[in-house]
Amino acid sequence: MGIVSDAKTQEPLAGVNVLLRGTVRGTTTDTYGKYLLGGVPAGTFDISFSLIGYTTQTIHQISIQPDTALRLDISLAQAPVQTEQVVVTASRREQSLRDVPVSVSTVTSKMIADRLSVTLDDALRYVPGVNMMSDQVNIRGSTGYSRGVGSRVLILIDGLPYITGDTGEINWETFPMFQIDRIEVVKGAGSALYGSSALGGVINVITKEISETPEIRFRFFSGIYDKPSYAEWDWYSTPRFNTGGFFSYSNHVGSFGYLISASRSVDDSYRVNDVYHRWGVYSKLNYNFSQSQSLTLMTNIEWRKHGNYFWWESLKEATRPADEQLNGEVNSARGNVSLAYKNILSDRFFYSLKAIYFGNFWQDDSAGHVNNTSAAHFTQFEAQATYTTSSAHFLTFSLAANYDRVISDIFGSHPGVGAAFYIQDELTLLESLKLTTGIRYDWQRVWKEIFASPAASSPSQLNPKIGLVFSPGPITTLRASYGEGFRYPSISELFTSVTSGSLKIVPNDSLRPERSVSFEIGGSQWLSERIFLDLALFQSDYYDLIEAHVTPNPPVEILFGNITRARIRGLELGIKTDWFDRFLSTDFSYTYTDPVDLRDNSVLMFRSRHLFYASLSANYRQWRTEVNFRYVSRVEAIDENLVRLAPIVDGDQRVACKVVDAGVTYNLINTGLPITIGLTVKNLTNYYYVELIGNLAPVRTYYVSVEGVW
Amino acid sequence: MILCLLLAACDGGLAPPPPVELGFSGTVYFTPGSWPTDSLFNLWIFASQIYPLDSAKVYSGLLGSQTTIFLFPSISQSLPLSEVDSMSYSFPLQSGTYRYVGVIQHVSPDFSIRAFRVVGFYKNPTNLSQPGTVEVNESAQVKGINIDVDFRNPPQQPF
Repeated sequence: MGIVSDAKTQEPLAGVNVLLRGTVRGTTTDTYGKYLLGGVPAGTFDISFSLIGYTTQTIHQISIQPDTALRLDISLAQAPVQTEQVVVTASRREQSLRDVPVSVSTVTSKMIADRLSVTLDDALRYVPGVNMMSDQVNIRGSTGYSRGVGSRVLILIDGLPYITGDTGEINWETFPMFQIDRIEVVKGAGSALYGSSALGGVINVITKEISETPEIRFRFFSGIYDKPSYAEWDWYSTPRFNTGGFFSYSNHVGSFGYLISASRSVDDSYRVNDVYHRWGVYSKLNYNFSQSQSLTLMTNIEWRKHGNYFWWESLKEATRPADEQLNGEVNSARGNVSLAYKNILSDRFFYSLKAIYFGNFWQDDSAGHVNNTSAAHFTQFEAQATYTTSSAHFLTFSLAANYDRVISDIFGSHPGVGAAFYIQDELTLLESLKLTTGIRYDWQRVWKEIFASPAASSPSQLNPKIGLVFSPGPITTLRASYGEGFRYPSISELFTSVTSGSLKIVPNDSLRPERSVSFEIGGSQWLSERIFLDLALFQSDYYDLIEAHVTPNPPVEILFGNITRARIRGLELGIKTDWFDRFLSTDFSYTYTDPVDLRDNSVLMFRSRHLFYASLSANYRQWRTEVNFRYVSRVEAIDENLVRLAPIVDGDQRVACKVVDAGVTYNLINTGLPITIGLTVKNLTNYYYVELIGNLAPVRTYYVSVEGVW
Repeated sequence: MILCLLLAACDGGLAPPPPVELGFSGTVYFTPGSWPTDSLFNLWIFASQIYPLDSAKVYSGLLGSQTTIFLFPSISQSLPLSEVDSMSYSFPLQSGTYRYVGVIQHVSPDFSIRAFRVVGFYKNPTNLSQPGTVEVNESAQVKGINIDVDFRNPPQQPF
């Protein structure tokens, strides 16, 4: 046990990873910098302390005596560049980012707060290689236009899948934004560990730990939308606000820890019939049976009511939806209950049992008339064990099973079951050379009716991976990896049957899973104490990509099919610098992709070739200011048939995205108040663009925020 | 560098399209050597929402309370009266269906019905002996409404 603090300011450091090296034991510090590493048997160990932005410190040859508590207070020195960090997603266990053979980016809770990211998709907009198309995530060109249906990026909450059971999409707003500790983004195919949907990458949302001492946290924000510059788009005479906040309380009573939180937000929007109302409750309960056994129950529910804005009337009326969407409204309730049990049986072996239920219920109304409804239940159980041997093997193996149930008037009523097994071995060949190999087997069936004849052939999937990390010195790391990915077609892609106007969407239950194969080589290098560089070259091949297409002969029907064979090659460069004792920091990333539709060697639709993100931040005493710029090149090719048949008037109108966000915060800690106030301007230059065709992105918005921790 | 990035984001991006001049446009092609020397007092392009026409419909369409026949340029002006091979035009009109579009010649100083004759019309692409219909809507100007004029061989008169 002990306290970890900043060597310079002596302020306690929260979120420090404390690892007992060579074992499976570890913990993190709480808000007050305190840590407690229990259940450690007598012996001699090395203990490491690491935190983003600080130099990792390892205390060697610590001697633990039987039945004796050892107090070890540590001061961490600030690192010149914020690169040292621990991640859990790449190998399903805590490991240094330097030991990971694939590209991983992280977003910390501090970055979320500094940038005032209101929803999870907003928090990902500056992650290298990630391009948000409205609420649809695209990692290195993996995803085209699907309005979120059938996500090719798997999202997890604390390691468990969080994809809706009906449409296979990500509900970004359902995540408890205020309770996120960090977000890890693993790029490239990841089905060897995570199964379906991990074609383009994996995003793991890791929630905060429960504080060891009583803690009250809150954050409130209020934003006001600027008026559009053009009279044709200016439809509001009274101000339009985006306002919200949360309040939480957490504490420990003996071995029992709890955190309860409630949130509420209302977004008036800058567009007609695009108002969002959200209510959320979140709780996390933890019970430590002993120092090596714990049980955690997490509950997260969000209710939402919002207008049904699909696309604009036309570019001339870009803040108004098409006429048929003017009265539409969507009501939804979404949430999960998850349970995690962890038992450390020895210093070399532990196992965990996890289960999640994710419910997704929605109905869309038009002028009070219920049009479509869907109820999707997704349940997954997972047992994972980790074993480390004296010969430097780190074995991870797991069994998983899931059950889905969808009841919907447009998707039908369908049950589905799946099962998987995976094993991974991380082998330290030399002190500087580490090899990771793994393989996962997935099996799934979806029925047309209640366990009647199977509908989708859904062949079983076997996905291997291999990775190599070579660290010739403390300032250089080289990595190489190969991985495969796949995605089972979602219920909506298999069974949607609906007529809208002149368009008829018909089911296709012969869809096959889409697959991907990814290669990457890369490396990182300190060019000086202040400059850190990371470069990756990658290639992903995609097979049988599922896309909607129009039948060639009348009547006009739309159905999903395994259509596209694609290849995406590219490079990603990241440069971080720190100047003047971290007074000034910069972070640049550039991603180039060459997305090719191999059917005719044309440009793959709905992809941008260039992504460039730049961030400049300055810290002076209690002041912090940050300016972020993102450039996403103009999408070169879109589906003209979609624009014509939907129809989306002026749907082909698009430009490059060139957006500047800026903010300043002031910490009142010197006045005795643990409060931070902030002013943020999003889209500072009021630049008009679309991320999704026919959808004008948010106009300039001014936010004020207040955040406190007691 | 920050300044450069800010400047890059200052070009505004998307904007509403400029106002569209409703109507139709195209080119009138004149048969060389056919221009009259003594019977050309005025020349207009006309667009009639009604077809076929008779004398009464022409009068009411031009002069009645509800105009259904429109002239370009206005009745006090004229297209060029000296010989040219062709001329481009842009006829501003409200949205609607125009079933008979052509060029009309004013052959004498009076304004009786006999003082006017159609010298060319926009033809139906699938039946060149019949007039083509021009649909004018609010989204864009209709282009390519081309008319052939031969003063010596005018088409069959509609009135």
